[in-house]
Amino acid sequence: MVSRYDGTASAGNGEDALRLLPVHVEGQPRRAGGFSTLSEGLDFAARGGTGFNFHSPRGRLEHVLSYAELRERALVTAGRLAAAGIARGDRVAIVAETGPDFMAAFFACQYAGIIPCPMPYPMQIGGRDAYIARIAAMMRAAHVRAALGPADLAGHLADAARAAGIPVVLTHDELRNLPEKEGAIAPFRPDEVAYIQYSSGSTSDPKGVLISQRAICANTRGILEHGMRMRTDDRAFSWLPLYHDMGLVGFCLSPMMGQVTVDYLATPAFARRPVLWLTLMSQNRNTVCYAPSFGYDLAARRVNGKAKELDLSAWRIAGIGGDMVRPEILQAFATALAPAGFDPKAFLPSYGMAEMSLAISFAELETPMKVDRVDRAQYKLAGRAMPSDNPDPQKTRVFVSCGRPLPGHELKVVDRKGRSLGEREIGHIWVKGPSMMDGYYRNPEATAEVMREDGFMDTGDMGYLLDGEIVITGRAKDLILYHGRNIWPQDIEWAAEQVEPLRSGDVAAFALEGSGGHEKVVVLAQCRLKDPEEMEDLRTRISAAVHRAVGVECDIVLVPPKSLPFTSSGKLSRSKARAMFLAGEILPLQIPGKNGAELQAAVNA
Amino acid sequence: MSRSREEIFEKLVELLAPFNPEGKELHPDTEIAAELNIDSVGVMDFIMEVEDEFDIDIPLNVLSETHTMDDLVRVVAERIS
Repeated sequence: MVSRYDGTASAGNGEDALRLLPVHVEGQPRRAGGFSTLSEGLDFAARGGTGFNFHSPRGRLEHVLSYAELRERALVTAGRLAAAGIARGDRVAIVAETGPDFMAAFFACQYAGIIPCPMPYPMQIGGRDAYIARIAAMMRAAHVRAALGPADLAGHLADAARAAGIPVVLTHDELRNLPEKEGAIAPFRPDEVAYIQYSSGSTSDPKGVLISQRAICANTRGILEHGMRMRTDDRAFSWLPLYHDMGLVGFCLSPMMGQVTVDYLATPAFARRPVLWLTLMSQNRNTVCYAPSFGYDLAARRVNGKAKELDLSAWRIAGIGGDMVRPEILQAFATALAPAGFDPKAFLPSYGMAEMSLAISFAELETPMKVDRVDRAQYKLAGRAMPSDNPDPQKTRVFVSCGRPLPGHELKVVDRKGRSLGEREIGHIWVKGPSMMDGYYRNPEATAEVMREDGFMDTGDMGYLLDGEIVITGRAKDLILYHGRNIWPQDIEWAAEQVEPLRSGDVAAFALEGSGGHEKVVVLAQCRLKDPEEMEDLRTRISAAVHRAVGVECDIVLVPPKSLPFTSSGKLSRSKARAMFLAGEILPLQIPGKNGAELQAAVNA
Repeated sequence: MSRSREEIFEKLVELLAPFNPEGKELHPDTEIAAELNIDSVGVMDFIMEVEDEFDIDIPLNVLSETHTMDDLVRVVAERIS
């Protein structure tokens, strides 16, 4: 597998591959961002010799797209989008596959003043219907003029577009056959928008994060200059999906704004062959790569004896983002990859969200992670993170510092009433700064819920300050982070409530931290059945329904009727349900076989 | 190399065994992910095994329309023939 790639094996691309080494072009100053629009950044990057390399699911170099070529293709594509009847200011849904077509379309929009909305692609087995429902809701919310994607998803896209009432559906091949229309080039100005990102909100109510040119330019500059301190010899690697902020901003827009080369492996290819990630990084001597904790976990479990054949000594930034930083998982990765020369000082915990373009804070570079061990009882009962040297892991909790906010950005931890809290006091994290979104697209209610008049935004995360650095402890919102994916519990509950004889309000979904820092998704379902076999069958059917709709493995726990807590306004309180379940105040119904008792036992042990 | 549908089914059952610890009986109409409650990582692992065993590639659009064992048998049969 490895030997297939040597830079020359990829027919016709050998020289391009060499050209894409991140070389400093003579007479051409490098700039770590500092542009006022994305198109200005690409105009500059196109003068150099760097760009994007795309690797196949089996690790062969498939496409080489220099920034110069990307710019050319984007300009041509801009003319074709105009020919398809898409006007300046329109929104276009583009399936964000990891490949040159998506890149060309995204940047074509930048040159034509069209607002791109990157869309996911289907990842789940049997997930067609759920996928179509999801992207149809996104297209509807963005009022897109057209949907664009690869030929093999044409059927999916057409169905979604029909459901959403979108008039134009195009494949990249169809777009290529259109003539270029003159006068299409009218790049976004610095005071205009850049793109809309759908990584927030449930399937039925997706929220589009509207990012301006000002915000994305500020954030990419912060990432390049401050967070990662990108160097001329850096070469990035990414298997992150480009429809998420970490993939799009972290590993497409930022590297481009800093003229850094990126090697890509598509997310589904990583999911099938996690070790290919490390093999390719070893071959290409990549220096920068990010993953959620679960990615490190997966790779460490699969690498086995292969670690000693790899050389990861060039890897200087191994960023962690997208889920809670789990020190024990990272430690296991570092141990497994020590034979490959992996340096644990490369771990870079960081904190961010799509609403802030991407990055909010980074830990210190080239220093060991700052791990804070705190007293579990004080954390739980008093909301304080007090240091503890108790060796009993049941008595302590371990958190990791995510560093200080980017220059020009502010962060504070506040109580329920918005009053600033002191060091080690756990509260709500509010942020402010130039990277912030303009708001949720055409959704003033949702925008007003998080963005305040004083310029601060409520992140929905909880944490505390430690020597001025931010430590994240969890979420105030009910959002579930599962394998780096954001999952809205409403989606799980809705799917489960479709199962007979369950009704609306019978189900509560939340995450529990299981052994080894692995998140478990728990679904409590109120059950009126009495027959053990019927009850077991109900559990299986709920599990299957959740799987089909959301693609998540979960633990189904049947509980007595009327045991789930509701607020005075009649809304399900998931956090209370979770707390009551853990405290044994909601008891699983007794059926032969497991029904959640072991979950309570494991967490309370 | 052509294999009969029965042979493909048997091979799939064998490849699925590690993801089916409860030894649930598999039928042509068994829904792979939903009924076995395999997590998404496990499914991808299994699909990789299938791809390697039969030396085929199963694209995402096809995978998204694959629900049952029988669907998967058909996907494999179409690609090895």
